[in-house]
Amino acid sequence: MTVAITRTKAEQGFTQNFEAAAAQLPGGPGVAAARRAAIGAFAALGLPHRRLEAWKYTDLRAALKEALPVAVGAVRALPTRAQIDTALEGFAELDAHRVVFVDGVYAQGLSAQATLAGLRFAPLAERLAKPEGAAEDRLAAATEQDAVAALNTAFMTDGAVIDIARGAKLAKPLLLLFIRSAGEARLLTTRNLVSIGANAHATVIEAHLTLPGTAAGQSNALSELAIGEGAQLAHVKLTLAGQAESHLATWRLTLAAGATYRAFQFTAATGLVRNGVDLRFAGEGAKADVSGCFLGRGSEHIDTTLVIDHALPGCESRELFKGVLADKARGVFQGKVIVRPDAQKTDGKQMAQVLMLSEDAEFDSKPELEINADDVVCGHGSTSAEIDKDLLFYFRARGIAAEAARALLIESFIGEAIDKVAEALRPALMAAARRRLAQLST
Amino acid sequence: MLKIENLRVKLAQEDKLILDGVSLEVPKGQVHAIMGPNGSGKSTLAYVLSGRDGYQVTDGSILWNGDNLLALEPDERAAKGVFLAFQYPMEIPGVATMTFLRTAVNSLRKQRGEKEFTTPEFLKRARAEAARLGMPDDMLKRPLNVGFSGGEKKRMEILQMAMLEPTLCVMDETDSGLDIDAVRVVSEGVNHLRSKDRAMLIITHYQRLLNYIIPDRVHVMAAGKIQKSGGKELALELEKTGYAEFQSRAA
Repeated sequence: MTVAITRTKAEQGFTQNFEAAAAQLPGGPGVAAARRAAIGAFAALGLPHRRLEAWKYTDLRAALKEALPVAVGAVRALPTRAQIDTALEGFAELDAHRVVFVDGVYAQGLSAQATLAGLRFAPLAERLAKPEGAAEDRLAAATEQDAVAALNTAFMTDGAVIDIARGAKLAKPLLLLFIRSAGEARLLTTRNLVSIGANAHATVIEAHLTLPGTAAGQSNALSELAIGEGAQLAHVKLTLAGQAESHLATWRLTLAAGATYRAFQFTAATGLVRNGVDLRFAGEGAKADVSGCFLGRGSEHIDTTLVIDHALPGCESRELFKGVLADKARGVFQGKVIVRPDAQKTDGKQMAQVLMLSEDAEFDSKPELEINADDVVCGHGSTSAEIDKDLLFYFRARGIAAEAARALLIESFIGEAIDKVAEALRPALMAAARRRLAQLST
Repeated sequence: MLKIENLRVKLAQEDKLILDGVSLEVPKGQVHAIMGPNGSGKSTLAYVLSGRDGYQVTDGSILWNGDNLLALEPDERAAKGVFLAFQYPMEIPGVATMTFLRTAVNSLRKQRGEKEFTTPEFLKRARAEAARLGMPDDMLKRPLNVGFSGGEKKRMEILQMAMLEPTLCVMDETDSGLDIDAVRVVSEGVNHLRSKDRAMLIITHYQRLLNYIIPDRVHVMAAGKIQKSGGKELALELEKTGYAEFQSRAA
């Protein structure tokens, strides 16, 4: 018996757009085959919808009305460094090693020209084109049960392939910039493959931004990171203000024994944002902190979905997410912590807190603990609240006007999360948050 | 001069009057104490003076130097010089004490038409006042009141009072939860602020604090009314006789 599956306009569009763009997408025959397999997998899966547990509150099938044309080929006009810096706000001053992608393609002229000791970088497009295809193996290793990842494999145009040498201590943070520049609404698809050698220390900042005057588009960004034994990685994702119809981001991480991973996601973009994090402890005694802050207004939809897989003993995981929601904005937090039978001495703590500035805002929170070991310490919590009237009165009784008091209280609320970031980044993050908060109606 | 006339107040959601016709005058330069049993309406009076939500004034007036306080928002009252030292100071995680203080001080200075302090000016003053109250500098860097002991929180209230330079100081049970040494330190802080331009209203259940801060007048409050007023010796009398007389009189 055959079952006819009805596909939405967007689902059909992705398949059609693939056929139209396939010949122009980078990579040799092996890569082309992987892409074709991926779009096949997508065609079978369709866009994720609310009956899938992981997408319960973010029904992409309903939300995505169409598949935008694929951004492929040369970028017509590159933005200037000044335009980028303006859009980067406080982060522009950061002394970082920049690697810039404009509309899904590596922009060498805007990227750092000097080398950084311990860092090896190649644009993904270049790597895909190599016949021996080291990247291909890694692509093939990714199982495509996930429709969003399948779309990424099918459409990826470029990204950063990064290897940080064993024992290297990068002198500067690495700033990966993904810029949507002027032009019609398009789909941008990037993939990063990051490998941090044993005992290396690095900071990687991934910033997504849209330049002013740019049509709202779709983006699909996937980063795969392998963090070596004893390595220390600070990882920040900035999804900054700017028009976006949808931004689907996925991080897939593995941590080797004794690795320390500190991640922070700051989301202040418009439209629909999904930040998926899939983290697996692949060695004992590793530590991960995945935290963040999201600020939503209008009819924005910001989804954070984490899966933290304690596959081995003695690992520690921490998650703290703070959100501020105004107007009809909707926040989603799903945090699943899996403790496998062997993962004794697991220590996991999770917290999601939202401040609601409007009665029409919505926060859906689904913490999940799946514990299959007996000697573990795990906890989770979730709160949503309005601004505390007693605290507000305390501020006002000290002469601080209502609006300023509210702003300080909101800042203090998200400040607890921002305090998780390395000190050097806090002022720029706080400034970005303040600018955003000033736009939220109260 | 603070002039309260026939003040009647109920909770916004309930009908029962908590203040049932309070009349009181506190001239500048004087310290008055309000003593009374629990539930007599003392704290409500403090909150209504400072403009907290949730109360409804059904009758009467509050004038401070001729300004009708009841028509003003809490921050506007603060600009007019009103300060409430809270019985239970709030903990504010994520706001450094110094940031909070500087925001408050400069916000008030601006509203009062004075020049805002620069950071060095402000730091100098804050450190000097903290030192007077025996508070280490690092307390000023910590989030406001978070992890502070009861005594530290009360000292922080007095530090704020010193920094904000109010002219009407209302202290709500400032001695509650303090050991005898802390009472002494806090009292010295308060006495230091006594001046001919400042009126103070000290709300307390016990006479103990008034050994250190000698009041010009003492008022006994029970059942939402001032039942008796007198000199500082009234506090000592109360310590012996208790409040039973006033409670039965009110009932």
